[in-house]
Amino acid sequence: MKNHTLLLAMVGVLAVGAIPAHAEPRQNSLAGDVAVRHRRLLVKRRFEVTPLFESTVNADFRHIIGGGLKIEYHLSDMWSIGAVGVASTAINTALVNKILPSLEKTTDNATREPSQTEFKDHLNSMPLHGAAYLSFTPWYGKLAAFGQAFVAFDFYFQAGVAFAQLKSNCPTTVCSDKNPGGSTQGAGGDTIPADNNPNNDDPLNNGSRVGLYLGGGIHVFLNDFLALDLTVRDYAFTDNPSGADFNADLFVSKADNRFLHHLFFGLGLSIMLPTTVKRTP
Amino acid sequence: MAAGTALAQPKGKKAPAKGAPPKTAPAKGSDDAGEIELDDKGGASVGSGAGTPNGAPATGASAGSNDVNPDEIDMGEPEQQQGNLNADLNAANQANAVKAGPVKKTPVSWKDITVVVRKPFLKSRRTELFPFVGATMNDNIIRHYSYGGELAYYLTDVLAVGVEGQGFVHSFREPFDLIARQARRLPTVNQYNWSAALDFHYVPVYGKFAILDHKLITWESFFTAGIGVGQSEVIPRDTKFPGFTNLLIQPNVGVAMRFFLTRWLTVNLGFRDYIFFDHFEPQNRSDTNFATAADAKAHADGSLINNVMFQIGVSFWIPTTFEYTTFR
Repeated sequence: MKNHTLLLAMVGVLAVGAIPAHAEPRQNSLAGDVAVRHRRLLVKRRFEVTPLFESTVNADFRHIIGGGLKIEYHLSDMWSIGAVGVASTAINTALVNKILPSLEKTTDNATREPSQTEFKDHLNSMPLHGAAYLSFTPWYGKLAAFGQAFVAFDFYFQAGVAFAQLKSNCPTTVCSDKNPGGSTQGAGGDTIPADNNPNNDDPLNNGSRVGLYLGGGIHVFLNDFLALDLTVRDYAFTDNPSGADFNADLFVSKADNRFLHHLFFGLGLSIMLPTTVKRTP
Repeated sequence: MAAGTALAQPKGKKAPAKGAPPKTAPAKGSDDAGEIELDDKGGASVGSGAGTPNGAPATGASAGSNDVNPDEIDMGEPEQQQGNLNADLNAANQANAVKAGPVKKTPVSWKDITVVVRKPFLKSRRTELFPFVGATMNDNIIRHYSYGGELAYYLTDVLAVGVEGQGFVHSFREPFDLIARQARRLPTVNQYNWSAALDFHYVPVYGKFAILDHKLITWESFFTAGIGVGQSEVIPRDTKFPGFTNLLIQPNVGVAMRFFLTRWLTVNLGFRDYIFFDHFEPQNRSDTNFATAADAKAHADGSLINNVMFQIGVSFWIPTTFEYTTFR
């Protein structure tokens, strides 16, 4: 009897221990809440008009520097659509400025070396470029600078279609080869073989280009309707900036173009319209 | 009612008051036993009835704090501060020599003090171990990749001093070959071998942001200025000639961001500009001209270089935790 009592007691203890606890787990009442209350909706359903300045970052042959305009409509806090267009001028990089003086001043076809004029006239510029894109703003916040200035900011990422107008201007006196890589008919009807000299070929690096656009940037809001806009933009499309023979087949052709990234840094002042903002609950 | 007195009494020596009734005996005539009541005009007066010998409720200000039974109360730090605040308030009133009529006191409590959110991460007197990798941003001929680390000690929450060291590997970019093939020119380039620096960091900007309107991340931005040394090495255009090395004095400036993940882990990324005067292989080097390394170095071409690098890494903080010294 004593053993039975002990056994029952042990079973009872085990049974009680096996009963799952049904106590409600404690939950933070803020668990399902939004991260920020009474938030100023600085972009939602607002137009953004941004006069901007843009410059290439680490360009190989020519810096592209220009000004333009960005227009964007923010469908929501996070999503927006927009377009940017920039008119630019071109400045030789330090690399070009080092190479040019070292090249021969007059054309000597006996050498494979381009003359100063040949080298310079093959380089292209980008008088116009831009993009149409979809923008995503996953981060927003506020910061304190020097314990004095408290400003709101957001980070955004963009993807879309890039376009560019490329320009090169090689006169026929310099780019005189009428059939690069091929033979030509001489004055007496005889065949003249390919000259294997890419320095007098047309650079084939002008015209319109369409490609991929990627960007990322930050808005720093100065007030409810003005914001500094800092952006890094990548316009990627086929290009041959040097206008020279890239694939070493001794003549310039379309095959020398390749898909290149053109990295720009942009600085703008965004004007948000309408100028008043709403708040979240 | 005894409970009501507990919250109002300063923590101190627990000398029982004379004539204190048994602890479990409720005050006679008290109809709100168990109700917690806060009164900034001397909390002891509210529940002073509990300390009366006959259990009769005390009324108004006639009941002094001497009637409180300290044995019955558990006194916490905030109430001690509350007493101090009232004392300060009374002292300020007494210091006012001009009293024209009755003075209306404005009730003041800790509830009136605006709560400021604490910084979620403190750096003062902590050491940061920052292994990082980097890449050159502004050289279109040669790209250097760096690997290194920094050990920084934060004197305050915004000011730090540290030492860094890094080694370099390099790769040539497209124009290096392109210039040789297209313009028949061999670029003159140096490779960087190593560098070390003493750095000072200043943190003027901090903030927080929400990711996808859900999770809050804290971050800060800081400036760096430092001075150091490094070594560059000439890559000979013609490999039959020897290269030579240069010892460089390298001031540096930079700006970076730090994202706080845990109390001991952050992610850092930023830009650093290492400024130095480098020496390159002289032009027209031949068997008869600057053939030896010493001769070439003596006739080297000099140029001021800005080596702008992007650096990213993870910081480990020691000690791995910290304590706040102020109230929440």
